[in-house]
Amino acid sequence: MTEPMPPAEVIAMSPAATATPEMEREVETKLLVEVRDHASREAFKQLYDRFTPRLIPWISAQGADRQMAENVVQEVMVNAWTRARQFDDNKASARTWLYTMARNRMIDYHRANTRRQKAHDGLQAQSPEIAVSEDVPERAVISSEMSALLKQLPVEQREILLLTYVDGYTHREIAVKLDIPIGTVKSRTRLAFQRLRRALGETE
Amino acid sequence: MKPQHHPSQSWLLDYATGRLNNRFEALVRAHVTVCSECRDHVSFAESVGGELLAGLPAATNTSGDSDAALAICDSHEQLDHAEGQFSRAAHLGAVNDLEEIVTTYLNCSLDALPWRKLGQGLSLCRLSEQDGARMWLLRGEPGMVLPRHTHAGSELTLVLKGAYFCGSSIFSVGDIEDADESTRHQPMITHDGECICLAVTEGKLRFESWLPRLAQPFIGI
Repeated sequence: MTEPMPPAEVIAMSPAATATPEMEREVETKLLVEVRDHASREAFKQLYDRFTPRLIPWISAQGADRQMAENVVQEVMVNAWTRARQFDDNKASARTWLYTMARNRMIDYHRANTRRQKAHDGLQAQSPEIAVSEDVPERAVISSEMSALLKQLPVEQREILLLTYVDGYTHREIAVKLDIPIGTVKSRTRLAFQRLRRALGETE
Repeated sequence: MKPQHHPSQSWLLDYATGRLNNRFEALVRAHVTVCSECRDHVSFAESVGGELLAGLPAATNTSGDSDAALAICDSHEQLDHAEGQFSRAAHLGAVNDLEEIVTTYLNCSLDALPWRKLGQGLSLCRLSEQDGARMWLLRGEPGMVLPRHTHAGSELTLVLKGAYFCGSSIFSVGDIEDADESTRHQPMITHDGECICLAVTEGKLRFESWLPRLAQPFIGI
């Protein structure tokens, strides 16, 4: 099914290597295939070092404090090891697989947090003037390397995607934040995806 | 089943990123379950998320290390074979009966629900509410016409049985009508049979004529 893989140390690229995003994506996926097929600890370490520093700010930007973000990422990476057999490299890249795992963990986090917030609100109603320190998340910024693709988008379309993916806003919340009609958010999102699909050679 | 009307890309993106209110999430998920086109959109949105994630600038001073993670992995005696459902598009599509999907979600048959007859061939069942999003089932007899109205927020309507007209469009089983503040419509059930829809609304409907406006406080819609 899968081609024989070179050792993980051969798969890894040196930081100095000039890798295209496509090469990076391919390397990550090969590393995860190594973990899946050969339980390669070296491949896992390389995946960990590649993704952990990116997952932590992403999770922080969506409302988790730093400690929580690090805990979540640790869980995601452990799951990547224990559930590697479920990874199908014909269906998804490693980065998409890890993103969906992290996102699913954040869904759980937000749902638990909503329940906690409701309980907290109830307490506040009974005990007014309780000071609550607000943990303002650091805003993650998309690096230049990824976003050849995003740079092709008009700024107003790119903004919608960043607010959604990076900052975790819904389209309704974006309409309020940007003070634009909900229909405008919808049309910008539709146009952004149309362009992305075209850029990737996909049919709409 | 090949639905012809879909939620906007914005709804699918919010579904893919997991940020929908539970009520809207349940409705969108039911549609995505029977709509291969929307499953493809969700899958694409997830891959964009993966690309964005990989492109984020790396944080410095991360305290975790791979050896510590591997030590945790080693403490798991065997690999986890649980069927984890990672993609929000994956594993959907196996069930193609929307009524079955919804009755499973509600844990009872549609007929067993406490329908409230409102007259003019319309029955309503209010299911639940969360954070201002209210979930309803609406049942209209053939030919029934809803009063013309606009909205104070978003509204998604999923057809479970039968069909209705809205202007020149016809919404049939599996279709979603995506309405918001800019939508002004007057749904009319087709003459072929009764129509049952699942709807989630934010804010009150804004009826144009005075009679439904008078009745609105008692109906709660």
